[in-house]
Amino acid sequence: MVNNKIEVKNFNCYYNHDHILKSLNINIIQNEILTIIGPANSGKTTFLKALNRMNDLNITYSYKGEIFLDKNSIFSMNMEKLRQRIGILFAIPLPLPMSIYENIVYAPKCLKIVNKKQDQDILVERSLKNAFLWNEVKDRLNLSAMKISGGQQQRLCIARTLAMNPEVILFDEPCSGLDHISTEKIETLMTELKYKYTILLVTNNVKQASRVGDKTAFFLNGELIEINQTDKFFISPKNKQTENYITGRYIIS
Amino acid sequence: MIKLNSKFSQKIPFFFLYAATILTIIPVITIIFVIIKNGLSAINWEFLTSMPRDGMRAGGIFPAILGTFFIILLTIIFVFPIGICAAIYLNEYAKNNLLTRVINLAIINLAGIPSVVYGLFGLGVFVIFFKLGVSVVSGALTLSIMELPVVITTTRSALNSVPYSFREASLSLGISRWLTIRHIVLPNAVPGILTGSILSIARISGETAPVLFTASALYVSYLPHSMFDQVMILPYHLYVISTQVPNVRKDMIYATAFVLLILVLGISCIAIVARIYFKRRKKW
Repeated sequence: MVNNKIEVKNFNCYYNHDHILKSLNINIIQNEILTIIGPANSGKTTFLKALNRMNDLNITYSYKGEIFLDKNSIFSMNMEKLRQRIGILFAIPLPLPMSIYENIVYAPKCLKIVNKKQDQDILVERSLKNAFLWNEVKDRLNLSAMKISGGQQQRLCIARTLAMNPEVILFDEPCSGLDHISTEKIETLMTELKYKYTILLVTNNVKQASRVGDKTAFFLNGELIEINQTDKFFISPKNKQTENYITGRYIIS
Repeated sequence: MIKLNSKFSQKIPFFFLYAATILTIIPVITIIFVIIKNGLSAINWEFLTSMPRDGMRAGGIFPAILGTFFIILLTIIFVFPIGICAAIYLNEYAKNNLLTRVINLAIINLAGIPSVVYGLFGLGVFVIFFKLGVSVVSGALTLSIMELPVVITTTRSALNSVPYSFREASLSLGISRWLTIRHIVLPNAVPGILTGSILSIARISGETAPVLFTASALYVSYLPHSMFDQVMILPYHLYVISTQVPNVRKDMIYATAFVLLILVLGISCIAIVARIYFKRRKKW
């Protein structure tokens, strides 16, 4: 049965007076990967950050329209609860300045979800295993997270998000600074994770979208141009602009 | 035009920069040298721990040392909680509106007021209006008001030095703003806050004008036993024995200056050691 996890209804948002997202309507289906492609400045990241209200940290941000998570408006939810349910990964890995172990247990400990040392150990091991990082770091869990490589940091951030057991995970160009081996690891990880979570992936890499997405959406200047099943999207795009972009002939007009 | 050879044209700026550096440290070294040379002979256990005698011409400076410590301690208790809380509010919560801008302007201007004006303000408000009298508490409150903008400014810059991305990472996990400040921002800002605070303690411990009318007495024959007592303090005592009391032995004056100097330098040294310690522990 198809279940709409997130429904975006006629959503607009603004920074100061710049209209960033224009009348967006998207349904995101549970346990699917939706990849979003589009040129720079087309509102992809803003869209992701609108979903867990990270945009609200910026005081010049304003919005109009509705977004529903499991049929409940995200704007009437407790903001912290919302971010616990919708986790986000940023383009640049943002480990916290503490050890690998502490990075994972930081949020669950703050929220008093796990208290006992035993439970914390289990959580750390499980999260790191799910993020395919356990074998690389299991002997140095007390090492500062600032000292591991960029690809490892990004997977640590994924593990940290997984430790909170969210329902939706937003990936904002998670591989932009990584080599192809780390990229491959993260792509495999995403395709594994979709069985438990709903995933949105913003990427600048069109090939990546065709590899991992169940559905693909094309954004241009804050508008949703096209959204379709990934295979159909790439084989027979309906829109001329989409076709130009995915074949690399896109010219800003 | 005379063409200088390149080696020479390098040497001219080097010479001036070097000379300027030497000029700045010469007075400091001279002051310390003169004070040590003239005062060290009068420093002994009795000088540090006994009451003044013979109209302050003999005996020790114990009540002045104690009074200074007493005032510093009380000032710390008043100024740091308020200053640090205000800085956290201004840096982490305050929106950039008219009120915030007015507050920022006020803080900058407060830091520029001459200390003697604070002294008169303290006299009018704490000593006379609130009837606290010339006392440790009046002096500490006056010093607190004077030091508040400094503490707020240094704390804010320490908070600012914690990268914004740390806050973003924590907030994105669904951690509230306060818990983020409590667990991420403050632990990483503590080194900066601490060193800034210790340096501001060093500054207030040498201040004379703000406590001149509000806390200090020429001579008190007993040790302070409550915060509503008048006290002797080191900077004012130094002023009194060097200008107001005739026939004080020179080495006693210098010895008093030496003790004051050691006090201020000692507090600054704590700040330096703390900074080195925290730099080693810094994780990013």
